Amino acid sequence: MLSHFLLMVLYALIVSLFFTLLWRRERKEQIKLFLEIFVGMVGGGLLVAWLMYYFPSGPPAPIP
Amino acid sequence: MAEIGSPSAPRPAAPPVSPASVAVAVLSAWLVPGLGHVYLKRPLRGLAFFALVVVAVLVGSRLEGNLYQPVQGQPLTLLATAASMGMGFLYFLLRYALHYQGNIAGAGYEYGTAFLLTGGLMNLLLVLDAWDIVRGKKE
Repeated sequence: MLSHFLLMVLYALIVSLFFTLLWRRERKEQIKLFLEIFVGMVGGGLLVAWLMYYFPSGPPAPIP
Repeated sequence: MAEIGSPSAPRPAAPPVSPASVAVAVLSAWLVPGLGHVYLKRPLRGLAFFALVVVAVLVGSRLEGNLYQPVQGQPLTLLATAASMGMGFLYFLLRYALHYQGNIAGAGYEYGTAFLLTGGLMNLLLVLDAWDIVRGKKE
């Protein structure tokens, strides 16, 4: 089963490839846009995850 | 005066396009992801778009995400359903042929829902792209 992180990376990969193909024609520009979107999404996700790390996690789930 | 080809240069007038051609491009783009681009003689791009949308939908359904349908009393589900239906025949295949049901208790439910919605929304963007291309607004 995929982890949270791998699912996030997969999602970012799909979306980045999609918008790269949709908006750019030249190879160099495609690579640039792909990296911008992909790194932005994965890096942004990691950044937000770390920012949330310091928040309290809340009460433990009740035992069923 | 801006040079021809620069972003601010006036674009040459596109040749007139028949309404039927526009309709075929747009409808085929919606019905099968990427088919509109194939119709508009961009087969590689169409194939790539098809693969991306199908992968998103496959991953979403594998994770047992929610394939939206209208729920009485929840008007936002109408928007979500419209977004999901953006994936074209895949929506009807999942819903009516395969009787697909998401699993709200599944571990991947939220992720799956996001993948399914994204697949639908990406295809709606492809419909708009096909519309722009057939009218000569875009290459």
